Amino acid sequence: MRSIISIFLLVVIAWGMITVLQEIPFGSSETRVGQRYIDQGREETGAANIVTSVVLNYRGFDTLGEITVLFVAAIGLGAVLSTNRKKKKREIESASLVLYTGCRFLFPLILLFGAYIFIHGHLTPGGGFQGGAIVASAFVLVYLGCRGRRISETGSKAVESLGGLIFIGIGLAGLAVGGRYFLSNFLPKGELNTLFSAGVIPILYIAIGFKVGSELAGVIDHLIEDSE
Amino acid sequence: MNDFGLFLNGINPVLFIVVPLGFAFGIPLLGMISKKIVKWVPVFVYSFVLVGALSNIPDVLDKPIIIQIGGFVPPFGINLVAGPVGILFSALIAFAGLMVSIYAVVYIKEGPEVRYHILYLLLLTGAMGVVLTGDIFNLFVFFEILCISSYTLVGYFGNKSGIESAVKYLIQGAIGSSLLLIGIGLLYGLFGTLNMADLARQISSADPVTVFIPMALMITGLGVEAALFPLNAWLPDAHSSAPSSISAILSGIAIEVGLYAVIRILFTIFGISDFIMFFVFLGVLTLLIGEMCAFSQNNIKRMLAYSSIGQIGLMVFAFAIATSHAVAGGLFQMISHTLGKGLLFMAAGYMIIRSGSMKTASFEGMGKRMPLTCVAFTIGAFSIVGLPPFIGFPSKFLIIQSALAKGTVLFTILTGLVLMGTVIEGAYFFRIVQVIYFKKGNGDSERNEAPIAALIPMFLFTAVIIIIGIYPKFVLGILDSAASELLNQIDYIRSVLG
Repeated sequence: MRSIISIFLLVVIAWGMITVLQEIPFGSSETRVGQRYIDQGREETGAANIVTSVVLNYRGFDTLGEITVLFVAAIGLGAVLSTNRKKKKREIESASLVLYTGCRFLFPLILLFGAYIFIHGHLTPGGGFQGGAIVASAFVLVYLGCRGRRISETGSKAVESLGGLIFIGIGLAGLAVGGRYFLSNFLPKGELNTLFSAGVIPILYIAIGFKVGSELAGVIDHLIEDSE
Repeated sequence: MNDFGLFLNGINPVLFIVVPLGFAFGIPLLGMISKKIVKWVPVFVYSFVLVGALSNIPDVLDKPIIIQIGGFVPPFGINLVAGPVGILFSALIAFAGLMVSIYAVVYIKEGPEVRYHILYLLLLTGAMGVVLTGDIFNLFVFFEILCISSYTLVGYFGNKSGIESAVKYLIQGAIGSSLLLIGIGLLYGLFGTLNMADLARQISSADPVTVFIPMALMITGLGVEAALFPLNAWLPDAHSSAPSSISAILSGIAIEVGLYAVIRILFTIFGISDFIMFFVFLGVLTLLIGEMCAFSQNNIKRMLAYSSIGQIGLMVFAFAIATSHAVAGGLFQMISHTLGKGLLFMAAGYMIIRSGSMKTASFEGMGKRMPLTCVAFTIGAFSIVGLPPFIGFPSKFLIIQSALAKGTVLFTILTGLVLMGTVIEGAYFFRIVQVIYFKKGNGDSERNEAPIAALIPMFLFTAVIIIIGIYPKFVLGILDSAASELLNQIDYIRSVLG
């Protein structure tokens, strides 16, 4: 009986969503808002990558919210796991020489690639979140290959905090000094398609990159600690 | 119109969101310097926000303040709408947040304290963002911040029941959030905009059947957090196993913010201005079920949690009548519930610590052991029930009056049912008060009052409850303009889009 009701309910929801989806003009750019981003995004924000101009400029406040969501999740995970943490030291079986050397060789390269992704967020696909995730993956590699090495908890916390504070600070600078609006792009926009362009956008993305990278690395650290 | 900056005439409302957020990011750094400062950070932050919110009241009574983020004209950027509703809620959130953070200075002394204060700030930031934003996706983002931080705070003590109810809450909340997101996605697909005013303008000329489905998804999704029947199975567990300071915020702020989002979406975006029979019945049903469950509890925190469900039912009933008096009554009821339930949870927190149990029977003779806390508890209980001269009386009175003003037989019957709910409410609250004062305890009867940091917020809550209870005129002005902001969709659109 229960499963019949569930199936019935799912069918109703699916039917409803299909009816709406049929009304949606997919693939066309008839919307006023979207069209404006495409037409004027480059001039208004100075970012060659329109997605970035939407993420960090037009809807930058959402992005501030998104990094907060990640922050909440990381802090919350720490809070829940720390309550019954065992202080036992892990038994470590060291990896083979090939794996160890390989990881040490790859680690800086991955970091460099991650940094490249978030520094060029306003020019090429990718940005702070993606770059940060790549940086964190370098730390996963170290945890797997060079067991026994740990990131410094204080260091990662400090980087995480500073990343967030820089974002807020730039936003407030826009409010107080620059353009009278929170998060306004008050720095010179520079020449389109060059590294030093788009005003505050690259700075914000670098801050996000550091924050996301250290946060995800911290999450991995917590989970490894408590996986026994 | 153009001189935005840190200060308008009052403090710029964007700072109500950004300043707490900045301090939340900064707390880990502060914690490295000294752990002692950290617990004072929320107190400091919410004193600032409270002053800020109050400083804006004269302006918003005149016309709502529209704040563009990044300097883009709506609907192209995100904007905040600090109208009477937004400022009313921010003041309420800031006041409750300030009081509970003073309470938590001594109440929270075990577990990962630094993380507690970060999550506490973020929980309230999420709530603040939801009530101030004028953009539907931005609302979702802040709603997520609110929800995720409350999931983790419910499991703060890390004991079995805490983790279990946090996971229950997490699963139901996550399903609710997904439904909300799907609804927003469908709306964006249909209209190509996320700005609430712009959506409202386009929806009025759209096909009602197509629009109904995203609306149903969004209301169902938000209904989980707003504790509407039958989506509230998580609530009694979550509110009873959280630390009492968090229970006060979850009951007083979190579910009301959820309900705010429901009515904002119904009234402002979908422009439903006539009373909605479905919600009228839903409200009465939620009310009766909540009160009857509360009546059968002998665990104090579960009882208070079920009583919150009942109160939410009453608010839904008021909003669904949708006359300006009824909506003002619903908002008034929100204020009185935040104050009353916050006071009850704070008092109960120390009564539980002193008696060592959540069982109501263990409170026998408490009236002698902690007289001040018990007086506070009693006043909170009387206010929730709706006795004069406390704030619960004028708010309930306004709702009953506006329901009867509908003048139909059906509404008279429904009002009778609502009053019956109040009678049940009175029965279980009086039962507890009787246990506290008129039963002799068999344990030690030494006087052992709650610490001063807990008594101060309780005293201030009590003071506000009595002052507004005697002079409801203090808040009626802003309540009336808040009600007309909610009901007057066209003015809202005009003030945002010009």
